Amino acid sequence: MKKIYLLAFCSFAFTLFSQTVEFEKDNFPSKKEELKIARKQLDVGINFYSQAREEFNDFKKQFISTTKHLPISHHDYRGSGITNFRNALAPLNTANNFNPNNARLNYMLGMVWFITEPSNPLTLKHFEQAYALDKKVESDICYWLAWTYQFNVRWDEAIAKYNEYLVFLNLKAKNNATEIEDVNKKINECQNGKLFSANPERVFVDNLGSAINTPYPEYGAAITADEETIMFTARRDNTMGGKKDEGDNKYFEDVYISTKLNGKWQPSKPLSKNVNTESHDAVAGLSLDGSKLFIYRDLTKDGGDLYETTLFGTDWEPPIHLNKNINTKYHENTASLSYDGRQLYFVTNKDAGIGEGDIYVCELDAKGEWGPAKNIGADINTKYGEDGVYVHPDGKTMYFSSKGHNSMGGYDIFKSELNNGKWGKPVNLGYPINGPDDDVFFVVAGSGSRGYFASAKQGGFGDQDLYRITFLGPEKQPLLNTQDQLLAMVANPVSNLKTENVVEVKVAKLTILKGVVTDAKTTKPLEASIDLIDNDKNIILATFKSNSSTGKYLVTLPSGKNYGIAVKRDGYLFHSENFNLPDNADFQEFNKDVALKKIEIGSTIVLRNIFFDFDKATIRPESANELERLIKLLNDNPTLKIELGSHTDSKGSDDYNLKLSDNRSKSVVDYLIAKGINAGRLVAKGYGETKPIDTNDTDDGRQNNRRTEFKILEK
Amino acid sequence: MRIILLSVLCCVGITIHAQDTVKVASNLTPDQQAELDYNNGLTALHKNECATAVDLFTKAITAKPTFDKALSNRAIAYTHLKKHTEAVTDINQAIKLNSQNPETYFNKGLIYFDMSLKDSANVALDNCLKLNPGHAEASYYKGLLLYETKEFDKAIEFYTKAITSNPNYTYAYNDRASAKRAKQDYPGAITDYEKALTIDNSLVFIHNNLGSAYRLNKNYDKAVNAYSKALQANPAYLIALINRGSANFENNNLKAAQADFEEVLKKQPNNSSAYNNLASIAIKNKEYTKGKNMATKAIEHDAKNGPAYYNRGIAKQMLREEEGCCADWKKALELGVESAKSFINASCID
Repeated sequence: MKKIYLLAFCSFAFTLFSQTVEFEKDNFPSKKEELKIARKQLDVGINFYSQAREEFNDFKKQFISTTKHLPISHHDYRGSGITNFRNALAPLNTANNFNPNNARLNYMLGMVWFITEPSNPLTLKHFEQAYALDKKVESDICYWLAWTYQFNVRWDEAIAKYNEYLVFLNLKAKNNATEIEDVNKKINECQNGKLFSANPERVFVDNLGSAINTPYPEYGAAITADEETIMFTARRDNTMGGKKDEGDNKYFEDVYISTKLNGKWQPSKPLSKNVNTESHDAVAGLSLDGSKLFIYRDLTKDGGDLYETTLFGTDWEPPIHLNKNINTKYHENTASLSYDGRQLYFVTNKDAGIGEGDIYVCELDAKGEWGPAKNIGADINTKYGEDGVYVHPDGKTMYFSSKGHNSMGGYDIFKSELNNGKWGKPVNLGYPINGPDDDVFFVVAGSGSRGYFASAKQGGFGDQDLYRITFLGPEKQPLLNTQDQLLAMVANPVSNLKTENVVEVKVAKLTILKGVVTDAKTTKPLEASIDLIDNDKNIILATFKSNSSTGKYLVTLPSGKNYGIAVKRDGYLFHSENFNLPDNADFQEFNKDVALKKIEIGSTIVLRNIFFDFDKATIRPESANELERLIKLLNDNPTLKIELGSHTDSKGSDDYNLKLSDNRSKSVVDYLIAKGINAGRLVAKGYGETKPIDTNDTDDGRQNNRRTEFKILEK
Repeated sequence: MRIILLSVLCCVGITIHAQDTVKVASNLTPDQQAELDYNNGLTALHKNECATAVDLFTKAITAKPTFDKALSNRAIAYTHLKKHTEAVTDINQAIKLNSQNPETYFNKGLIYFDMSLKDSANVALDNCLKLNPGHAEASYYKGLLLYETKEFDKAIEFYTKAITSNPNYTYAYNDRASAKRAKQDYPGAITDYEKALTIDNSLVFIHNNLGSAYRLNKNYDKAVNAYSKALQANPAYLIALINRGSANFENNNLKAAQADFEEVLKKQPNNSSAYNNLASIAIKNKEYTKGKNMATKAIEHDAKNGPAYYNRGIAKQMLREEEGCCADWKKALELGVESAKSFINASCID
């Protein structure tokens, strides 16, 4: 192949009708020595270039035979001849400095830049120059020039050049079917790009600053639902072992963490050697509470696998290789846990998929193991490949990257919503969130109004940086003051407001519950298990743990369910909370510190998840889980004698409330007796409205006052 | 609502006309003297000389203690003087003397109206209408009461009764139009405002209301035209100038809108609405610093201008003054700008 290129170059030297300037004595009569040097450098450059191009072409053939289509993203070419392309750059540049008007040399430089750094202005400069000097310098000049225009968001020029290339391809349409399909796809991408960039999304894009970003690459951000912790991948000089990957001459990937203090990110730190090795260790996903981290490692030669590590106290435990339902001999990378931790979404390029990388989902089985992986289907996965899956804490929205659908080029980030158990049609997040380059690894905060992503855009700290994007929603229309005298009898004007199309900014429908679990007496942080219960179905949705060192916990509750929360630890009374969140409940954050009480005489707890029929003493079925917990406590502590006290709010007469509460406490006691608890251990007591714990003037206060408590009488 | 009664008494004459004058003979008997004093009392009431009216009605009542009309109108005079206890005593005495006079019940309705005792006003007006179902004013006031409780369908029903009883009842047309506007029946409102103007073309506020109905119906040219007519009739009627600017703004004619709002400020340099609307223009033009400054001036001149806080919040958000923008939207919401709520939910969660 190298010879072909040299030959092509030589034959080109004799072309009479081009504007190109060849490296010949006649063209540089007074610069013989310089010409000699330039030609020498040119030869060296061509040598590297030819080798690179040979590798590049081989890669392309291989790619087509595997995927049945041409590379969609420029990153698909990454690694194909890159070392030789890089080696070619300096000598070709030297030659070009001497003679900038040689079409083929500009074409070669364009290719070198395209493969190494397509968004560099020099890519476009060289391709444009090559085309201007000779439109037929290479048969595919229009293709690369078009793609570079696409990269530069010059959609119309890109479409024109792609169309020009199509004319050439159509001369031998039968032989060029794959190329024609590819060019048509790229034309579609440009048309999508035109459409999206004409109606840009209103966003603020903010660099996360020097606490997070450095001149080295930072990417692959993962955040907790409350945006208090960020973990990401970086390739810094303080990488574990301090070595570089020979493939791209960059430091090996490590995982870094930063937390917020008073709203500001603190300087990021690498995780310990439990997680970071001397090879690649990259963030693949993070649980919403920040207690489980998924990492990607390519320790074996089977294409890279997913691992899971858990935060124990202040350090991360050694990562565990995920089971064979997830990891295969192929490449597995990003992973995302559903809000209840029962589903794991991940990306793999294993065989039998729809495209070169598909999103799969595994369910946690009864033993707590990940079950068989299921492809989430062709509504999401395309033949061009998907990546960067992230399931939002609202449990209903999935973000992912795809090179298919209505992408603007390479990977774009899409959103799909779960309806009746089925992921809906993906929606492109639009421009400028997406652009013609690859847009991957996008995570969205619990509130839904902010996202985090990586970009190599100008103005950062260098290479890829992490950015925060704030969605502003549609343009907010100002409000005018207008006045009218609507009623004839009213002498003074009636002010009224004219609202111009009130803009609703969509926010996530979920509640974030977080806080610290402590010992009520010592106030020391406690590790406790936190059950999340669907009260309507009487099932435990998930169990979380508070951090053993800090006692911190975080639970996300998508709207639309009646949740019971039970915080438990051996030797302590459990603590229960109830969150009945209707479908339309807006995003909210609750801070609820839980002080667990030891099992001691006199200790009381409120049973927030015992419900009665309105104005009756009939226990509602959704109380079952709470009562089961109470039964377990009594069975585990057979010497306990307790009082079940029932309280009402102040609505209704004193007598009525006393009678109602008395009946209710007896109902609970009867339930426990029916479940085998000795009646002698239970005392029923109705307090009516006599012991309020909150005001009776508000709905919330009255709700707090209506409660069932138990108190330990004997131990 | 007190203002309403004031306007009834001072400007309209409908009410007073209801309790009409009595004929007086040339040789005065005590009753005739009472009637003369009564008539003079009415004249004083018409002139808004309420204290004099009270004196004259008192004379008439002293001369003729059973003079129910004098008692009824003294009650109105007292009401105007904010002596509600005396007014209620008089009106009840008048009814005691003659329980079949619908006008006395109507006056009782007006007194309670002025006292903001709307249920009592309602009962009195119902009693009036029982005795005289065609009592246009009573129907009109019933409409007014229903309008204020936002029962627009029923209000329209009573305004229509008033119009049926008095086809030239300009105010009833205007108010029925306003009730229709509240129901977003803008074409219906336009028809009624136009009808009101065919009866009395001089009423500036109805031209203004017509303009607003056109504006809400997005007929901006007609809106501008109606506001301009209001301004021709009364160049000092700045409400119409503010509204014309708003119609121009909504019609995307920002230059004309700016000229209108600046004109308002020339005539009234502390007009908060004009500053706020100039802020709206600046925001629309993406001149956020200017928008913020203008909204601030609007707030300086009227600390309760909710839209100004709302707009300043928008400007601050775009200027990346996140904390300030949230504080402004919260204030706007506090002042009744409900649309600030979604912004707060979306952007003020920290």
